[in-house]
Amino acid sequence: MSTLALLVALVAFGALAGTLAGLLGVGGGILLVPFLVLAVGMSQHEAEATSLLVILPTALAASLALRRRDVGDLPVALALGTVGAVGAVAGALLALALPADVLRLGFALLLAIAGVRLVRDARARVP
Amino acid sequence: MAVALSSRLQYGRLGAIGLAGGLFSGLLGVGGGVVMVPLLVLWGGYGQRDAHAVSLGAIIPISAAGVLTFGAAGEIRVWEALALAVGSIAGAQIGAHLLARADERKLKLAFGVFLLVVAVVMAVGR
Repeated sequence: MSTLALLVALVAFGALAGTLAGLLGVGGGILLVPFLVLAVGMSQHEAEATSLLVILPTALAASLALRRRDVGDLPVALALGTVGAVGAVAGALLALALPADVLRLGFALLLAIAGVRLVRDARARVP
Repeated sequence: MAVALSSRLQYGRLGAIGLAGGLFSGLLGVGGGVVMVPLLVLWGGYGQRDAHAVSLGAIIPISAAGVLTFGAAGEIRVWEALALAVGSIAGAQIGAHLLARADERKLKLAFGVFLLVVAVVMAVGR
């Protein structure tokens, strides 16, 4: 794939992932990591690292948009996230120490759980 | 006293939820909302909508910490990330606007089934 085609594909896929995330609250990293591994050919570790750099500005932009609409409590969220940042450093160090196969299986499990939850939610709302 | 105690308990719970979300985020390269949103609803007493908003804000410092840690190890592909982020930021706005019109049930069903397929591919594919 040429550089330009790859760039267009990345922007388009980013838009798809962002749209689903905006609609369902799921679909940022959970779509980005498999896409980067299976379609772009990144290693599991590169895909996870790159996914986080996509999530950061997206969450920032989405939070600012929510704040303008007066939804949520950003100070509480940031406090929660500051404690969470300690966990994130630990999690990332653990990921860097683990083999890609183990992470990939862990990710498959996460996808399965999220998938089952979505299907269950969808079925629960049948009138 | 009871109020102070219960609010301290609430802070403890929120801290534990943040820690769990952060650990998950760093380990698997996701935001951590998939862990934090259900915990905030079941355990933190938040409504679904507020839980989403709080989780989204928490993801900012959480993903920043993950980016710094993975970045120090040289694993980040910066140009790919920037291209994806341009699309993703635009997409998030589109998604929020579509929310009012979309058939959430069908969308959840389709996306859920799709995730199950990707799970199998990730588990067995090489």
